[in-house]
Amino acid sequence: MRRFDIVTLESPNRAPLRIEGFLFGDEKSKGPSVAIIGAMSGDHINQLYVASGLVEYLRTKEEEGKIIGRILVVPAVNAYALNMGEKNWPLDKTDLNMMFPGYAQGETTQRIASRLFETLKGYDYGIILEGRRDQGMCLPYVKLIQSGYEDLECVKDLGMGFVHYRPHEPVETAMLQYNWQLWETKAFSIVFGKNGSIDQTISDEVHTAIVRFLSKRSILDFHVFEGRKSNILDPNRITVIKASRAGIFISKVTCGSPIKKGEVVGVIMDALSGEKLEKMLSPCEGIVTCQYSHPLIFQNSIAFRIASVELCCQIEIKNK
Amino acid sequence: MGLIEEVFTIELPVGESFRIQRCRYEDKKSTKRISIVSGIHGDELEGQYVCFLLGQWLRNNPDKIRGIIDIYPAINSLGLDSITRSIPFYDVDLNRIFPGSKNDFLPAQIADGVVNVMRGSDLAIDIHSSNIFLREIPQVRIAKSQEGVLVPLANLLNIDFVWVHDAVTVLESTFAHAMNTIGTKTLVVEMGVGMRLGKAYGQQLLDGLLNLMVHEGILDSEPLDVRFPMQSHEGEVAYLNAACPGLFVPVIEHCQIIEKGSVVGHIVSALSGEVMDEVIAPMGGMLFTIRAYPIVYEGSLLGRIFGEKQ
Repeated sequence: MRRFDIVTLESPNRAPLRIEGFLFGDEKSKGPSVAIIGAMSGDHINQLYVASGLVEYLRTKEEEGKIIGRILVVPAVNAYALNMGEKNWPLDKTDLNMMFPGYAQGETTQRIASRLFETLKGYDYGIILEGRRDQGMCLPYVKLIQSGYEDLECVKDLGMGFVHYRPHEPVETAMLQYNWQLWETKAFSIVFGKNGSIDQTISDEVHTAIVRFLSKRSILDFHVFEGRKSNILDPNRITVIKASRAGIFISKVTCGSPIKKGEVVGVIMDALSGEKLEKMLSPCEGIVTCQYSHPLIFQNSIAFRIASVELCCQIEIKNK
Repeated sequence: MGLIEEVFTIELPVGESFRIQRCRYEDKKSTKRISIVSGIHGDELEGQYVCFLLGQWLRNNPDKIRGIIDIYPAINSLGLDSITRSIPFYDVDLNRIFPGSKNDFLPAQIADGVVNVMRGSDLAIDIHSSNIFLREIPQVRIAKSQEGVLVPLANLLNIDFVWVHDAVTVLESTFAHAMNTIGTKTLVVEMGVGMRLGKAYGQQLLDGLLNLMVHEGILDSEPLDVRFPMQSHEGEVAYLNAACPGLFVPVIEHCQIIEKGSVVGHIVSALSGEVMDEVIAPMGGMLFTIRAYPIVYEGSLLGRIFGEKQ
């Protein structure tokens, strides 16, 4: 293992920012290569945890001579934000994952993104560990955006239950996944957990999925059990249950729960009077893939997302 | 006197509602409509002052109104009252999620609500104040694809600079792009600095808004004698980025004409007492942007100069 600084940046008053990389395998190896990116935001603690756990795991596997290809793990991109409970770059509040491919002569976060991206270019596969952008928690899923260069086949080797496969949004053209794909890395994101916290079960699932991917893609000489057959979903066809009122939100189910049509999934109470304002019923049978995770809920917030077989039909796309 | 209405509300969890209010001034004889928008970013206050000045003028001149003038001073009302640029709780930049969606999280629903409330406006003026880091002269920024339609309108606004920039895909998530897409001619004004207001800039833009509305037939009045702005295609923009971290101390004022090679400021070390870097103008022209917040990292924008093409 080689531990090295990918980016260092002096600060006016703080200790310098360091973005560290952990490189495994022979650097001259002709085997496939993968780069794994952990926390890009200061609240992506679960992503940091999974990435640093992979560093430890791969260190032992390297000692056993099991690394065939080349693996780079970058556990924390935005250590400055992680160290002070901020989500974004602490000075100007820009999101580092909105700065790609970066610009070497540009503003600070564009320069950071540019230097990082220079290191990430050329990898065969790119795995981005992502948190959510809302106050939700979710079953782990693969997010694969359609840039014209995406590879749907390779993500199935993770053996994860759900793959969200959809056209990219305008803002995503400034994100790492999109740009990495354009530079011909088979990049995808694994979205999981609840921002600011660690879920051990989910972390284990994501860790195992990545190890399975490394094994199936001949990067790691290590056999793991088969995963699940991936359901390829159009996220726009996931049923949404919204809160018709604001107040204290009590969920009656958990992510991954199978639910029946008409089942009570949550309750909203008036935060001052305690009056029960809403009993939330599932409009369909399916699985809870995502739920609002803050105890206070806004009116019209999405409280649950339910995947049902009838609506989330398999997408048959010929891989490019 | 204008009609004050709540045009968008969402219950907040504890005994309060998020609301967007507008003040409508209307003359029933015409349906031509303009929307004046401010506060999409909660740390930008110049637009609020312009809204006040415009409302004051309209209250004093109701007989001049020949259409519908909607004033929306506070889109991100939670942010404005708490010095928060983004949507609080979610920490999401509202101006990066337009046109929004009813089936997404709260910020996207607010964006969707804003678009639907303003749908049908003939014109919209979205007033921003740069951010807390940079001080700007009054200017309008226009995507190249909209140049033909929007530059003639921008030239009426009594601003100093019209900056036509190349299309940037990420800007398709802005309010202005969303509104232009649905047929509302929308101009983005940037002026001043975040968390502050400048009375002179406010008055300058008020005159521009009145002039624009006269030309568009929304006000029955004489056109104002407004300044004609510099046009970005007639020159080029040079960016001054910090070469090192430290404290930026400018030596010249904003909005000055400077010579190539002149000193714009210094980056100094508060710890060692050293001058770390001298910031030199790479070209002559007008310093139309200057840093207002002194702490800088490598790359932080210190200023922009508009000058002749090199």
